[in-house]
Amino acid sequence: MSGRQAVQVLALAVVLVAAVAFPFWANRTQPYYLQIAINIISFAILALSWDMLARTGQLSLAHAAFYGLGAYTSALVTTRMGLPIFLGMLLGSLVAVVVAAGLGMLTLRLRGIYFAIGTLAFSETLRVVTNQLRFTGGATGLVVPPLLGGQRVPQYLLILAVLLLAVVVSWMVNRSRWHFAFTAIRTNEAVAGAMGVDVVRFKVLAFMISAFFAGITGAYYAHVFLFISPIEVYSLAVSVGALVAPIFGGLYTTAGPILGAVVLRVGEEILRSTVQRGYPIIYGLILALVILYMPRGLIGVWASVKSGLATGRKETREPAGP
Amino acid sequence: MLIFGVLRSGLYSLASVGLALSVGVIGIVNFAHGEFLMLGAYMGYWLFASYGVDPLAAIPLGAAGIFLIGSLTYRSAIQRVLRAPELNQMLLTFGISIFLQNLAIILWTGDPRVATVSYKATAVSLGPFTVGLPQLLVFAVAMTLTLSLYAVLGRTRIGKAMRAVAQNRLGASLLGIEVDRVYLLAFGLSTALAGTAGLMITLQLSVSPFIGLLYTLKAFAIIVIAGLGNINGVIYASLVLGLSEAFVEFYVPQGGGWAEGVFFLLILLVLLVRPQGLFK
Amino acid sequence: MSLLVLDGVTKAFGGLVAVDGLSLDVRPGEIFALIGPNGAGKSTTFNLISGLLGPDRGRIVLDGADITEITPASRAHLGIGRTFQLMQPFHDMTVVENVMTGELFGHTVPKSLAEARRDAEAICHMVGLDQLVNRDVTGLGVANLKRLEIARALATHPRLLLLDEVMAGLTLTEARQAVAVIRQVRETEVTVLLIDHVMSSVRDLADRVAVLNFGKKIAEGSFQTVAADPDVIEAYLGTEEGDTHQH
Repeated sequence: MSGRQAVQVLALAVVLVAAVAFPFWANRTQPYYLQIAINIISFAILALSWDMLARTGQLSLAHAAFYGLGAYTSALVTTRMGLPIFLGMLLGSLVAVVVAAGLGMLTLRLRGIYFAIGTLAFSETLRVVTNQLRFTGGATGLVVPPLLGGQRVPQYLLILAVLLLAVVVSWMVNRSRWHFAFTAIRTNEAVAGAMGVDVVRFKVLAFMISAFFAGITGAYYAHVFLFISPIEVYSLAVSVGALVAPIFGGLYTTAGPILGAVVLRVGEEILRSTVQRGYPIIYGLILALVILYMPRGLIGVWASVKSGLATGRKETREPAGP
Repeated sequence: MLIFGVLRSGLYSLASVGLALSVGVIGIVNFAHGEFLMLGAYMGYWLFASYGVDPLAAIPLGAAGIFLIGSLTYRSAIQRVLRAPELNQMLLTFGISIFLQNLAIILWTGDPRVATVSYKATAVSLGPFTVGLPQLLVFAVAMTLTLSLYAVLGRTRIGKAMRAVAQNRLGASLLGIEVDRVYLLAFGLSTALAGTAGLMITLQLSVSPFIGLLYTLKAFAIIVIAGLGNINGVIYASLVLGLSEAFVEFYVPQGGGWAEGVFFLLILLVLLVRPQGLFK
Repeated sequence: MSLLVLDGVTKAFGGLVAVDGLSLDVRPGEIFALIGPNGAGKSTTFNLISGLLGPDRGRIVLDGADITEITPASRAHLGIGRTFQLMQPFHDMTVVENVMTGELFGHTVPKSLAEARRDAEAICHMVGLDQLVNRDVTGLGVANLKRLEIARALATHPRLLLLDEVMAGLTLTEARQAVAVIRQVRETEVTVLLIDHVMSSVRDLADRVAVLNFGKKIAEGSFQTVAADPDVIEAYLGTEEGDTHQH
């Protein structure tokens, strides 16, 4: 058992070293890869943040809202008020957190499909409002100052650090009493309440944690790609991606959403170069196929392959998957 | 303004009554509803552009075509998740929606297309008002179809079977109603209604792969206002949406842009204040 | 001094009055049974006590403190634990994790995961689930799910334990085991309020019984007293149940 753990730790360390070393290599030989890597990491954070909220049974279609709030807040305070970019990004994620707390309180009573429609409506309302207002640049959008002087390598390392933070938070959630509260609320809110789980508190907290990571990723996007518009950052595609990746990779885990995000984005890149347009078709196809044929996602497939190989070996289930 | 809103609500009724049917009878909230509308619109456009068939005349063919596609979708996908958690149903239809939309982009590009029928710019006077002939035709056709659906549900055997299944699945099957066939029929009908609404759209607006989502969302707004699964409330709810959009367009500066947000705000408000709908 | 007092509690759903001006008085340390025909309002009463429903009128008092307005979670922290008639285990969790949830959140004393697991395993042992602690709950049989319901409720360390039909669907042997468990619970100074249709168990267990019919209390007293009450006999014979003579 400890031998297996050692292997796992070693594997993690190798991945981490490779991830940190990657930009120094890519920057010299394949700068485009660096850009893709930044994309993938941002997507993975978004997916993980969506998953953390989903662990309480709240399936949000509002992730574009938090992403967009982060992007616009940071863009506005840095361009209009001249605040430093790091402060802007922090403010962006804070605004997302505060709004998430409000939205979380409002949607407490909504379940399932009502919750999904309600959050979608909220996100689209923000898009329309941003589109119409003058100080947000309206439909034309905003030009945003670059983060870290526009240098890709430090930009990459920064978003990698945010991903690590998200991984640590997600891991802690799954290893602590929070895991029990989240899972209980997801499976049966009434029973969870009767057993002493403070349902309101945990649901709203999950919303806030989730929005923090979505908000900071949105702000990061603004300062790395230097231009934002409502149709882009409040796009339904952001919410859809955030939801498909965890479902594809494996819900309620830390590795699943990241794995899903990586595979999806790489697949999307390959498709993009072959079919040019309509490549998001892969999201639709994968979503439908996963729901029909692999309800526990890639992680689930992996687990059943593993247990298939180890037939006969007795396994006690561990409290929560990392 | 009033006329404008009322005319528009006709199309809204037709576009959303199918979704209400799907929710009410099968219990499936179909995120891909608008995509069937979009497919219907493309059918209308191609029939017109290639063979000069007027979209109004194309209704039987278009409805039958979309009915077929809808039935296939039901058999190959929807059927498998009938007993699955609501979440899986929602995500599956969401996947179908993304799939169909991008399939349309791949097949027909994202460019909007316009079918210019000969009477597109013709106007007729209705007492003191002047309205476009296409708008009037669309309203008439849409209302006729919506009301005939109500009649079918209320009067015919299959309509009664649908309502029985909607009320109580087990009870209906005990009465000898083949639930699965009723579901297939209801889903096919639901998509065919959306497809017909799509055909109507070719008469007055441009067609693109992206219109599906917009109408899915509007249909959501309407069935949420009506109360999920309440088929009869759809006409009133469409009126509420049509009128409030027209109101915003006419009385709010830059109203065209704000009108887009009206239905989202309506959904949010109804969900938060009166989740069972206004007309239930 | 009473542990739980219901004072004129009323709850209606639309036009149907499920609980109608109900007053109860449960004393510390007793086993109190709530019986009555189906639809008499028993489960609604439990939902009102545990806070899943709010009453239209009336007050609910636990150990002198008015709890009418507070959330289910706060009531659990004050010492109300309950089971559910339709067994509702947390899927995606093992048996012991289900019980741990109660240990972790059911009371105000904070516990580490290791402590919670240890205590949860002890409770599993007590109710007879010790062979199954690490099993997934999916696929458990009725008897074990009922045991799990009791174990989860006990894990919140209640002062007042609400048992909603924990005997229903059990074999005679299993029901006897459940009776033994409930007796054992009472030994730990937990007050028990139970709903059951299995009259032999009610007779064996209950110190006092209240009979509900159409949301109203029609009799109260020892099992023998209420069983002889003409109103009670009328209420039961009026339905097709004939539960009184089960087992």
